[in-house]
Amino acid sequence: MSKTYYLAQSNEVELFKAAAEMDLPVLIKGPTGCGKTRFIEAMGEELGRDVYTVVCHDDLSAADLVGRHLIDENGTYWQDGPLTKAVRNGGICYLDEIIEARKDTTVVLHSLADYRRVLPIDRTGEVIQAHPDFMLVVSYNPGYQNVLKGMKPSTKQRFISLTFNYPKAEIEKEVLLKESDVDDATAQKLVDIAGEIRQLTDTDIQEAVSTRLLIYAGKLISKGFDPYQACMHSIVESLSDEEDVLEVLEKLISLHFEKNSNV
Amino acid sequence: MLHYWLEFEESIGKVWDKYLNRKVHKFHEEQRVHFTDISKSLNIFHHLMGGEKGKDLQVTDKRYVDTSRTALQKLSFLGKEFFLTWQDDDSIYLPASFAYFPTKEENEMLYYWLIAMSVHTNVTDKNLIEQNQKAMHYLTNKYSGFEKFYFNASEYLISKYEQLGFIKSLDEKTDEDLINDYPNPMWIYPSALTINAANNLNESDEDLTREEDKDESDVLEMKKQANQIDDKHETDGFLAFLPESLMSIFEQVNVDRMEDDTFDENALYHAEDLDEITIGQKQANLSSRIKMDFDLQPDKTLMYPIGKGHYIDEWDYLKNDYLINYVRILPQVNTNIIPIELPSRLKKTVRKIQAELDLLKLDRIKNDNLPYGDEINIDSWIEYSSHQNKSMHHQKFYTTFEKKTRDMATLILADVSLSTESGITQEVRIIDVIKDSLIVFSEALEKLQDKFAIYTFSSLQNKKVYFTIIKNFKNKYDDLIRGRIDSIKPEYYTRMGAAIRESAKILDKQQSANKLLLIISDGKPNDEDRYDGRYGIEDTKKAIQEVKKKGITPFCITVDLDAKEYLSYLFGRDGFAVVRDGQKLPKVLTEVYINLTK
Ligand SMILES: Nc1ncnc2c1ncn2[C@@H]1O[C@H](COP(=O)(O)OP(=O)(O)OP(=O)(O)O)[C@@H](O)[C@H]1O
Ligand SMILES: [Mg+2]
Repeated sequence: MSKTYYLAQSNEVELFKAAAEMDLPVLIKGPTGCGKTRFIEAMGEELGRDVYTVVCHDDLSAADLVGRHLIDENGTYWQDGPLTKAVRNGGICYLDEIIEARKDTTVVLHSLADYRRVLPIDRTGEVIQAHPDFMLVVSYNPGYQNVLKGMKPSTKQRFISLTFNYPKAEIEKEVLLKESDVDDATAQKLVDIAGEIRQLTDTDIQEAVSTRLLIYAGKLISKGFDPYQACMHSIVESLSDEEDVLEVLEKLISLHFEKNSNV
Repeated sequence: MLHYWLEFEESIGKVWDKYLNRKVHKFHEEQRVHFTDISKSLNIFHHLMGGEKGKDLQVTDKRYVDTSRTALQKLSFLGKEFFLTWQDDDSIYLPASFAYFPTKEENEMLYYWLIAMSVHTNVTDKNLIEQNQKAMHYLTNKYSGFEKFYFNASEYLISKYEQLGFIKSLDEKTDEDLINDYPNPMWIYPSALTINAANNLNESDEDLTREEDKDESDVLEMKKQANQIDDKHETDGFLAFLPESLMSIFEQVNVDRMEDDTFDENALYHAEDLDEITIGQKQANLSSRIKMDFDLQPDKTLMYPIGKGHYIDEWDYLKNDYLINYVRILPQVNTNIIPIELPSRLKKTVRKIQAELDLLKLDRIKNDNLPYGDEINIDSWIEYSSHQNKSMHHQKFYTTFEKKTRDMATLILADVSLSTESGITQEVRIIDVIKDSLIVFSEALEKLQDKFAIYTFSSLQNKKVYFTIIKNFKNKYDDLIRGRIDSIKPEYYTRMGAAIRESAKILDKQQSANKLLLIISDGKPNDEDRYDGRYGIEDTKKAIQEVKKKGITPFCITVDLDAKEYLSYLFGRDGFAVVRDGQKLPKVLTEVYINLTK
């Protein structure tokens, strides 16, 4: 398998490795599509550890993390959940969007996230001491939608925090070149467009354009799609439903990429 | 002598001819684009281009440009009036409409071009050419769309207006030439102030008149500036309304004096302060409305005080301590209310929001491990099957879905200070959208069956902080409450800290698990005294901290576009939302709430 491509934004790689070495859990904050998942995958490879990803939601139960009994022809048997697997065998357990999970679900993490590093499983009565290669990583996207939910300070303060943002222009351009195969001039334009859109405040637009969307646009373009159309479908339409915002974004795209009337 | 005269005649003829030509043949009336129709988009575009967030876009007045060549021509006022694009620290000023080009797209594009140009220029009368050329090169290099537009557009303009031939041969021109030459519609011009400063150097007679009022106050200075820009059309733009607005502010000061014996220079000082905000369109609105409301006896509503009021503390950051019992809270309720039904103008929005709420399915919650219920929980059953000692198992295998009680108590605290009189558009004032928002929001909360209360506040120094009950937690939301919302009138100032503390006291008594203090405001905390400034900000920040300590989540929604800095200082980075388009406040308020609480 080829190595996962990840271009460091700043010192996150060193920090992550240090945390892994010291058996500390990591909290990653950052907006959608800025490279969090990619980063964890790359780190897993680098450290030679499996990554168990769980995307949290408010129906997620502790059993979804820890495991449950299942039935087969011989009766019931116990099946480890992703968290338990990582704890037993070593590996990175990555809980994406952690604050979407209910608080009673995440309490199981407490004893894992401090010096004890144990996971008690109520249903089997087992208490597992974590494998030396076990690492807990959680992420969330801070934003006003989440002020009420937040994370309990007692949970938060068990983690080393890394804050991600969209990469700087040069880095983002390089990622774009690598991931989507567009030519240099187009990549520059896409990065310029992103820079401009990110200057809008949350009063203008709710979400900023992500690296992921830029890559989509780039991929469409290198497939031979008309650049203007590619940007409209990948960037503009995904960002807003408000007519005046759409209108201006369209204008912006048309300034960078000519609109062909015959498409 | 005769020779001169002839030349004079001839040039008048020429100019007049061109003028007529231009008027009759050169504009494309059918394709005319108006600033007001696209101003929202232009504002967003301004931000996209990296323009300062605090800057407004406004319509400019005509400016007199002396296009005449010779001294004699100058004497005969051969200059013309033009709409130029220019900017100062507060705003970018653009012509009200364009019809130079044969298509709507191009006329519209001219606006976008000018916005982009203004972000990249800082023009004075000394660098007109350099700045505009630099920005032009930058934009045409970076944006192929602008490149195409600019070259087509300048070709077109040159072909139609020979006076603009200089666009092609700028090297021979100096800034001075061009400032008083036929203006290029695609350029940014210096603000009137800097031009006149330059002109004063050579025109000494004008200097004389200026000398006289040199030591007058800033207010007059402003009036002067305005007059230089204003072409004496009474209605559009600028400061034609200044005297009236001044009057109304003095009236207001007088009102304050009647209520309060502490009138002093301070009040005058504030009158000037207030005056500062009378530049620009929105405030034109404000001032005339203030006046209107004073004409219509303010006391038609019957405010009924609830008790004698009580005293609460305020934070003095200089002393780093509380001033004990320093602020007097006067709770009151309007007793002269006509109950109203849901206004029909809001029905559509309400229906839309309620439909959104239906989609949310907030209302079902799963309860596991019950001895009886709707469904068998397969997990519990399997667990039971694998249990070593089945008699020890709890044997509760059922799951039920219950209506979720959200256990939310929300207190909405609305700022109804005088500044909410100002307009979002000519017809709509901030206070109107606040009132509409309160109604729409209440409808949504009713539908969600969440507990809520609504209070408004305004203040006259620390002596009187009016805290008006619209709906308390016990009141049922009905026609009477709608009537109360409808009766809200803007008054006085914004002592935010006091109102926040008072609200926190009320919320603190609620039993709900989640408590939200939702503040709706249109600007900074301020009052007639030192509250207007750092002191007020610090007190408000302190009050917010107290709120959080009580386990209440504060959140602020504002229509103040410049607000970001002080708001993140007060509420934290994620503790507020700014609503760009004030008219969307009713919808946004409810959406923010749903997002906050889901
Ligand atoms: N620094 C980087 N190096 C390499 N690729 C990157 C980098 N940053 C972003 N990407 C690209 O951006 C895409 C989106 O990133 P990713 O899926 O990791 O986002 P995320 O932060 O996990 O988003 P979400 O919060 O929505 O899950 C990746 O597929 C990758 O192509
Ligand atoms: Mg991800």
